[in-house]
Amino acid sequence: MKTAGRSAAGAGDVAAVVAARREMNQRLASTRREGRSWGFAIGCLLVLAALPLLQFAGNFNYVLHMALYTFMYIAMASAWNIVGGYTGYISLGHNVFFGIGGYFSGMILASAGISTLITAPAAGAVAAVFGFLVGLVTLRVRGPSFIISSIALLMIARILFDNWDYVGGSNGLSVPLSTLPVEWAKLPYFYAMLVISVLSIAASYRIKHSKFGLGLRALSQDEVKAESAGINTKLYKVAAFAISAFFVGMAGAVWGEYLTYIRPNIFLIILVAANMVLMCILGGKGTVTGPIVGAILLIAFNEFFVAYFGASELNILGTGVIMLLALMFFPLGIVGTLARQGRLPRFLDWD
Amino acid sequence: MPELLEVRDAVAGYGGGPAILDGAALTVREGQIECMIGPNGAGKSTLLKAIVGILPLRKGEIRFRGERIDGLQPHEILRKGICFVPQERALFPRMTVRENLRMGGYVLEDRGELERRIDDVLGRFPILRERASQLAGTLSGGQQQMLSMARTLIVRPTLVMLDEPSLGLAPMIVVQMFEIIGMLRAEGITVLLVEQNALMGLRHADWGVVLDLGRTLFEGPAAEILADPRIQDLYLGRRSRAA
Amino acid sequence: MSDALQILILGITLGGVYALMASGLTLIFGVMRIVNLAHPIMIICGAYVAYWLFNLYRVDPILAMPVAAVFMFGVGLVLYQLVFAKEAASAKYSEMTVLLTFAVALVLDGFLGALFSNTQRVTTPPYATDAIVIGDLFIPTAQLYAGLISIALIGALVVFLQFTRMGYAIRATTQNRTAAALLGVNVGFISLVTFAIGVALAGAAGALVSFVFSFFPAKHWEWIAVLMSLVVLGGMGKLMGTIVGAFALSIVAAFVGTYAGATWSTITFFLALFLVLLIRPQGLFGDPIESA
Repeated sequence: MKTAGRSAAGAGDVAAVVAARREMNQRLASTRREGRSWGFAIGCLLVLAALPLLQFAGNFNYVLHMALYTFMYIAMASAWNIVGGYTGYISLGHNVFFGIGGYFSGMILASAGISTLITAPAAGAVAAVFGFLVGLVTLRVRGPSFIISSIALLMIARILFDNWDYVGGSNGLSVPLSTLPVEWAKLPYFYAMLVISVLSIAASYRIKHSKFGLGLRALSQDEVKAESAGINTKLYKVAAFAISAFFVGMAGAVWGEYLTYIRPNIFLIILVAANMVLMCILGGKGTVTGPIVGAILLIAFNEFFVAYFGASELNILGTGVIMLLALMFFPLGIVGTLARQGRLPRFLDWD
Repeated sequence: MPELLEVRDAVAGYGGGPAILDGAALTVREGQIECMIGPNGAGKSTLLKAIVGILPLRKGEIRFRGERIDGLQPHEILRKGICFVPQERALFPRMTVRENLRMGGYVLEDRGELERRIDDVLGRFPILRERASQLAGTLSGGQQQMLSMARTLIVRPTLVMLDEPSLGLAPMIVVQMFEIIGMLRAEGITVLLVEQNALMGLRHADWGVVLDLGRTLFEGPAAEILADPRIQDLYLGRRSRAA
Repeated sequence: MSDALQILILGITLGGVYALMASGLTLIFGVMRIVNLAHPIMIICGAYVAYWLFNLYRVDPILAMPVAAVFMFGVGLVLYQLVFAKEAASAKYSEMTVLLTFAVALVLDGFLGALFSNTQRVTTPPYATDAIVIGDLFIPTAQLYAGLISIALIGALVVFLQFTRMGYAIRATTQNRTAAALLGVNVGFISLVTFAIGVALAGAAGALVSFVFSFFPAKHWEWIAVLMSLVVLGGMGKLMGTIVGAFALSIVAAFVGTYAGATWSTITFFLALFLVLLIRPQGLFGDPIESA
């Protein structure tokens, strides 16, 4: 009969546990570096802000267009991440807010001639209010039911806008072309998208490091426990949804005027939402810089693909294959995987 | 002649987490009722889950009649003759009582034999017979526990492992549970029992094991363990809590 | 009155088709907690099988149905082994699976689109444009056949699940995966077969759909929302709930379509979904405990 006393075994275990914990803390401390690379971030921003200077050297409209397009997706993916990454509610119909923003500002532009650059915040606010109201209903359910309802929401929006004659039905809205000379025509939208993406990233960063963000991540783990820990989970997730909708709505407003037309089959196709999701997965869901990395990568890939194979169904196929491989082999995304291995470069570490 | 079930140096845990079992050992002799006791989180349920193949071992070995069974899948282990009734009762709530029993004999190939055994079991549990066509999810807690234990009789296993069968049941019903355990033994089935209610469990057992911190601290005849002052002090001490 | 009866009949026959389209989805969700967003594009795969068999070899799409089912069964086996085997083993619902199926949907959509282009197609067996006229009532034969065969197939599925050994194992795995494993069910194998059966049902539904609706690869996005609404309505993974939901909604949609225009009949499904989420989040036939 073994007679190992309980207290002796306990004491040994405690010493071992304390040692292990100390080692763990040290490892954590070594990955958490002091300070952020603000220099890098500001440097990037300055370079991007100076990008239009290229126009003095020749026609770089394509570069500006790609940059603008990337800003837009960075803004939207970062916004999606606030809901999908932090809170864990996967929305596959998030471009509903893109459409709402686009149509709201587009209608004002078409009827009153006020530029979307001015009305974008209002468009964002409308999208946010709408997001808040929808969230009250759809965020009642978790997991598969929520995902399905997000798709259904998109489908309802598509049918409504396709059949709403006041906003042009399936032909959509046309808004006046810019009167600026062609080499500078992109400029206002370029800066607007740059600002929106910076705001979106800033919001994502602030939320991640706030009590609110902590609450969101807690409820993504276990809603009941989060609730019993005193977090108003219902308010938190609906608020996150509304904030996310705000940035997506703003991006939609500016994008509409930039394109000069706002159509259901551009704003309300599921591929737009799929892109947001995929960018976050590629870069790293729930990280601050993941959506940025993901957006840049996916857009670069798409351009490459279109250049070689043409803009065709193969593009959808390619998107699907990348998503499948990323999910199967890199579920944490680039930033997430590097962070886990402790090899995340400092300029990407904003978590 | 090897013992019926032997576990040596078992180390196991959930996911990448810490080891819940940290060198646990266990011997179960054929024909006996063995009761495993220990405080919450000692690793008792984990050990049962490891034996039955739900949780893989990180280290150590499990032998059944001398043959290694660690690494096998749950359905393969069942075919060896080990039947496990987990704490959460493991019934199919949207199947009837009879269908649940039928699932109990899923591994039997002979359908006629299966139906005969079901009728035999229903004969021994009149309450279940009354409710044979009722959905299992609508039974009371005690009836559900009775059903999950009765279900083990269908396959006629060599060893039945019960994880806290008395959990959440009224004292009257607990007495019935132990009657059923006695019935299993009378059938020649060896029983390995995990009990929070240590006194009750040991009183009905031949052999006792004390598990704590993932290790086997004591084992011996149940009566001796009951009488051991150290164990009384550490694990049986607060009688009010145990009851 | 006869108007209402007419609409009711159309609603019921269509309901059968929807029920079949959604039954495979429900089965897969029930057993594996996988919300298969690729299910509708798999239906379209089945429709293409029937379409080409008909156009190349004049095989009647109803006869092509078993071919489509077997073909898709194979696709299901391969897909499960390649993509889902690891995730399904975790047995707990994870958002990962839904994203995986979404990716599979994109892949199949792009693949079919590249192969056959996004032009509208429909198989045209002789009965496709026929109708049976009884007094004032008018029943399109295509829809009638498709509805009846769907109902027969669903009946066969229910019998299979209720009375066969494998059916028991599938139902048991749906209700309690761990318990099923403890009773000797090889849950990994059951998951594989169930997934393949679900995909085969999509194939069979596709063959029928091919002469009822016109189809093209990108059409599946619309169906995703429709079919998913049925699954949520039915209480996630409960076959009977889904079937009842399919009939009920198809009938309502048929009335809405007649009186408010075809556009709005589709929206019925989505509005019903939101109503259910609002009033009874666990679905009309769901248990409150399992809604999480």
